[in-house]
Amino acid sequence: MNNYIFKRLLQFVPVFGLFLVFSFVLFNATPGNAFTNILLNRELPPEEYARVIATFGLDKPVHERLFLYINNFFRGDFGYSYTHFPKTPIDLISEYLPRTLMLFAVVNIVAFYTGFIVGKILAWKRGTKTETWITMASVFSYTVFYPWFALMCLWFFGYKMGWLPVGKFLFPEKWYESPYSADEVFFTMIRYTIVSSLVLFFIFVLSKNIESISQRRNTRLTGFAVLIVVSFVFWNNGDAGLKSTYAWDIAYHMILPVLVVTFVAFAGTALLMRTTMMEVLKEDYILTARAKGLSQKRIRDRHAARTALLPVATSFIFTIITIVDGAVITENIFSWPGMGVLLLDSLLREDIPVAMACFSFLGVLALVSHLLADISYAYLDPRIRIGSQG
Amino acid sequence: MSDNLLEVKNLYMNYETLEGKVAAVQDVSFSISKGQSFGLVGESGCGKTSVAMSLLKLQADNGFIDSGSIFIDGTDIVPLEEKELRSIRWNKISIVFQGAMNAWNPVIKVGEQIREALREHYPENTKHINYNKMVSLFNMVGLDDSVLNRYPHELSGGMKQRAIIALALSCDPKLIIADEPTTALDVVIQDQILNELKKIQENLGLGVLYISHDISVIAEMTDNMAVMYAGRIIEKGPTKDLFANPKHSYTKLLLESTPSVVGEKKKLYSLDGKPPSLMDEIQGCSFSPRCPNPTNDCKNGLIEMGLIETENGHWVDKCCVNCG
Amino acid sequence: MSDPLKIEDSKRKNSIFSPVVQKNWYLFRQSKMGLIGFFIIVFFAVLAIMQPLFFISGYWSNNIYDPVVGYDSIEVELVIVKCPRNSDFPTEKYDKPEDCPGDGEISDRMVMPFAPNAKPGDYYETFLQPAPPSIKHWLGTDSLGRDVFSQIMKGSQVAFMLGLLSATLSVSIATLLGTIAAFWGGRVDTYLMRQADLILMVPQLPLLLIMAALYRFQVWHLALVLGILGGFGGLVISVKSQALQVKVKPFVDSARVTGGTKFKIMTSHILPNVAPIALLYMVFAVTGAIFAESTLSYLGLLNIDMSWGMMIHLAQTDGYIFSGLRYWWIVLPAGLSVTFLSGGFYLVGRGLDDVFNPRLRKR
Repeated sequence: MNNYIFKRLLQFVPVFGLFLVFSFVLFNATPGNAFTNILLNRELPPEEYARVIATFGLDKPVHERLFLYINNFFRGDFGYSYTHFPKTPIDLISEYLPRTLMLFAVVNIVAFYTGFIVGKILAWKRGTKTETWITMASVFSYTVFYPWFALMCLWFFGYKMGWLPVGKFLFPEKWYESPYSADEVFFTMIRYTIVSSLVLFFIFVLSKNIESISQRRNTRLTGFAVLIVVSFVFWNNGDAGLKSTYAWDIAYHMILPVLVVTFVAFAGTALLMRTTMMEVLKEDYILTARAKGLSQKRIRDRHAARTALLPVATSFIFTIITIVDGAVITENIFSWPGMGVLLLDSLLREDIPVAMACFSFLGVLALVSHLLADISYAYLDPRIRIGSQG
Repeated sequence: MSDNLLEVKNLYMNYETLEGKVAAVQDVSFSISKGQSFGLVGESGCGKTSVAMSLLKLQADNGFIDSGSIFIDGTDIVPLEEKELRSIRWNKISIVFQGAMNAWNPVIKVGEQIREALREHYPENTKHINYNKMVSLFNMVGLDDSVLNRYPHELSGGMKQRAIIALALSCDPKLIIADEPTTALDVVIQDQILNELKKIQENLGLGVLYISHDISVIAEMTDNMAVMYAGRIIEKGPTKDLFANPKHSYTKLLLESTPSVVGEKKKLYSLDGKPPSLMDEIQGCSFSPRCPNPTNDCKNGLIEMGLIETENGHWVDKCCVNCG
Repeated sequence: MSDPLKIEDSKRKNSIFSPVVQKNWYLFRQSKMGLIGFFIIVFFAVLAIMQPLFFISGYWSNNIYDPVVGYDSIEVELVIVKCPRNSDFPTEKYDKPEDCPGDGEISDRMVMPFAPNAKPGDYYETFLQPAPPSIKHWLGTDSLGRDVFSQIMKGSQVAFMLGLLSATLSVSIATLLGTIAAFWGGRVDTYLMRQADLILMVPQLPLLLIMAALYRFQVWHLALVLGILGGFGGLVISVKSQALQVKVKPFVDSARVTGGTKFKIMTSHILPNVAPIALLYMVFAVTGAIFAESTLSYLGLLNIDMSWGMMIHLAQTDGYIFSGLRYWWIVLPAGLSVTFLSGGFYLVGRGLDDVFNPRLRKR
């Protein structure tokens, strides 16, 4: 296994290198550059333009720049942003990324979990009316034209009903007095989300081994209740306490995008889960489980869903890659200033260092996801994990 | 009220398929009392597994029990709902599946799967009690404790089969169905497993229903038996009697087609033709097209089917009462 | 009882389709969802075909009904009203500022430059753009006086052409590559997988954006790009895993033993078994292609006269999205069309799933 991982990691290098070259050439192939618009200023002396170009090295031929770029890249120097000078791409990414992460981390968890449960239920209730209706709804949400749907929701919930804010991630008015920048609040929120998800995860895993079913349920509920109390305390005192109003503002703005994206995203998982479960239900060990006198719920959750989880979890990891596509559109429509916006902006304004940095980030994400997907499949299936003895 | 563990009366079961209704089980009746072993024999597709599945009401989604009753320990399970059935399954009657290979969930440890059944039927047991019980079960079937922590694919075929037996015994059932318990194994293991089963049965006083197409297994393990053909029982009675004095033509042919270890070597007799399709209505004796000496009545379909008792407990289809 | 497959014996002998196709069609019919999807696709296909027929037959005249350059003017008389100031709302007649001017009304401020003497209460003749649905224009007209229904039909043509072209291309390439990867293994496999990785690494939308900036795309350019990208990308990985499952089946070994060349085994044994899955992927690929095109034209990046995405783009830039249901015929049809056609293909894919995967059948 370790051998395999090592080999894959080695293969990362040439692939990534090719990727860098490819992206760089592509970006430079677009006509014009980031600074052509300063030429619009008729009073600008022509030497100025040449000077600017020279400063940024854009006067050199492409292959030379490519070479320089790759060199610097592997030394950790990513250059400076053209349009946001003197910020470096790292600065920009660290500013924009948490916002996207916050949004899409929540979305992915909620969408996956919802999809998992809905798919489970769909496969179990095959042939009933409930199934047909829910499946139809899932298909609709899967194929609905996302930009259009997002616009409709935005119009309805934001404008017509006025329940939720129309775009952006905070109300500037509320933040005038704030001693905190948005990013600080974001960081606190992200830390909180990560810690509480981990805590939930551990509660779940550690209580798996408790013998009696009712005892197990009680433990989990208690753990969950404790978590809620602690969260409450956390957000009301100390550092987080002061930020809580602002955090709530951000969270409030998150509601609509999260709902909309989840609606579109859960169906893929649900439908895949349904198909996989239906295959699993034909297996013999399901019959054994029934013969043992287990309850429907238990058979469904413990046996069928557990096995069906394998391919679904794998595909989920793959879909992490498509977050970005979704991010570009979502952030555009909801005016949520995140990585999608950064990427789009850098592309349109030909801010090459930033665009390269973004692409590199996404590229690494894709490679890692693919590797993770392969590994997780091997890990989740004990047949592959542990060789057979028989 | 007899002390019969199992009493099946006039069971009719069919499957509904795309191509039509398949009458898989027709007018099947038999009973098993405490501590007895019963064998159900017949070729593939004769309906034995359908009968077995019906006993636990585990038939496929498109299988339906038309009429009849199945009394397990005095209760008729045919009209029962899933919920009520759950407490009967495994607790009163359990099954050792054909093909133990696939009966195990591949991603859950063996011990855990047994513990599951225990937890379902004995919710008050502590982990300790359950563990001890599992160890003693494994000892009974000749497996080591360490197997409890393994995954199914880590065990050999024979080990899996033994584990399945342990699983079947876990909730102290009174009756076990052994559906082709040794078909997928080599003869050495077969022998071991069958001996284990016999020992267990004697020790625990269990009733066992053996289902097999291998008549030698039935001969060795059962007290009473029944022969099935095309969904019906055509002969039933004490095993020794049927072997010594088979009355139905089919039974006779079945016995003749098994090689004998003793005596001179002779050419095996094999039967021409194939069983009738269970989708069409069968008039008269279902075996008549292949019967070596049918009477006129048999062929014309004028004989009403039904079992008649000839000697003590030995029943045979009407048509063959007088067949030589 | 009766065998439905047998009953059609007489039909079967006279039909032009092979028994395999007939049986599969029968199974497909069993799946309700597949049927619904199929009819949706047929519906849109009919729309796509009908349009040129309408024009050719003269039922529709080009001047009025052309989706891009047609123009129809509907004269209407509007009552001139004076709208209250924003702070005066709500009044007895109007609830919100958007309600004034209402239907059939026009604000005096708009009229002022053209008819300085007009007073509230007078009638003003003008052309109604966009016009609501009527007998003449089933879905009304857009802000430039073009017939919306005609636009939908044109969009249908675009969607089909693009979808089918790119899907066929990408699935053909991916099937070939995936099978080769599975069968040859070793270096070839590694190379193909890393290549797929490379394509996967690049987010599709941004890449299309860049390319659109470089080169003014037309529909069939987009189809080509989508086809090639899709063909060399993640789909290869999926096909490869399917082909691997076929490869380990005993009949492949026996084919090898009996002396088949690698190429022959691949074409006569593995490909036919992978084909059903490929067909399935094709259906989903169509959905993806339609989505990509719609998104790109929604963002205004496609050099195309008219498509559904373009319709939504226009609706947004003209500001009708937030008008809500008042101009529903501009806002709803395009989005719904994309949704339903994608949905239709997807449902057909599900139906095919039932056909090709016997374990999923009810019986």
